Amino acid sequence: MKPTEFKNIPKQNTGFQIPVGYFEAFENQIMQQITPENKTSKNTVISLIYRKQFLMSSIAAVFVVTIAIPIYFNSTAKSSIESTETEHFLMQQQNISTIDIVPHLSDDDISDLAHSLNVSATECDEIETYLSKNEHLEYILNN
Amino acid sequence: MQDEKVFIAKLLDSKTQNEAFRKLLQLYQKPLYHHIRGMVYNHDDANDVLQNTFLKVYANLHQFKGESKLYSWMYRIATNESISFMQQRAKKQGISNEEVKEKALLKLESDVYFDGDEMQLKLQRAVASLPEKQQLVFKMKYYEALKYEDMSEILNTSVGALKASYHLAVKKIENLLNSD
Repeated sequence: MKPTEFKNIPKQNTGFQIPVGYFEAFENQIMQQITPENKTSKNTVISLIYRKQFLMSSIAAVFVVTIAIPIYFNSTAKSSIESTETEHFLMQQQNISTIDIVPHLSDDDISDLAHSLNVSATECDEIETYLSKNEHLEYILNN
Repeated sequence: MQDEKVFIAKLLDSKTQNEAFRKLLQLYQKPLYHHIRGMVYNHDDANDVLQNTFLKVYANLHQFKGESKLYSWMYRIATNESISFMQQRAKKQGISNEEVKEKALLKLESDVYFDGDEMQLKLQRAVASLPEKQQLVFKMKYYEALKYEDMSEILNTSVGALKASYHLAVKKIENLLNSD
């Protein structure tokens, strides 16, 4: 037997039936659900559970902030004291020379230092002339 | 398009909203019902999904940007609502999405709101055996008689791909009907 081609099968509908008056009833049902009166009455209901959750969250937030603020200020104060203490310590140490400190300085630190010394161009030339006459120049440049 | 813009403005204006929404219901409740019913099979389930669809449309009207046509946006909501309805049912019953569809199809014969003959039932079963997207394409073209251009906007798929998908679906259905 030759197989039936789909295009030769008469057009079929879904076979689904709908209750009589369904769409009229549906339309009214939806319109009732979206009318402002119904919406307002729905919106005014505030869940007790939600209020309790909000209260608990607020208490927890206040508690966290109360603990966090002193910790934050203590830690920043401590770090500034630490840096001052370090400076004093380095100044009082007679065993630590400038040569020991220089390797730990970055390029920015060195340029800041140069600016703070306020050396003029003429003074720079004088320093260069002095250094060129220094017999240890090669040793200084290589170490 | 200009008319649609005016209509959307009416839907967003609190003074004209109710009247405009009633018109929207009258225009689209039937095609959307048939679209949903084709996906969930049962009338009561289709009623639930259609309600959710219109309530979602109402709640999200202000978010509709007019980038697509209003009806294609509503069709997309209806499609997503139907798919998630079937997925939730599958999850609740601890079975796969395909098994949920099979169960719904089995109940169709005894459904008071189904009066299909043997051929209609065979076709419904054959369509249900297709992959999800192909089922949608076939149902929208064959049962709902939508244009490929409209389907393209709803399903976000090119017209060419939809035509190919429909052609493949028809071939598979043909084979299934002939093998019975």
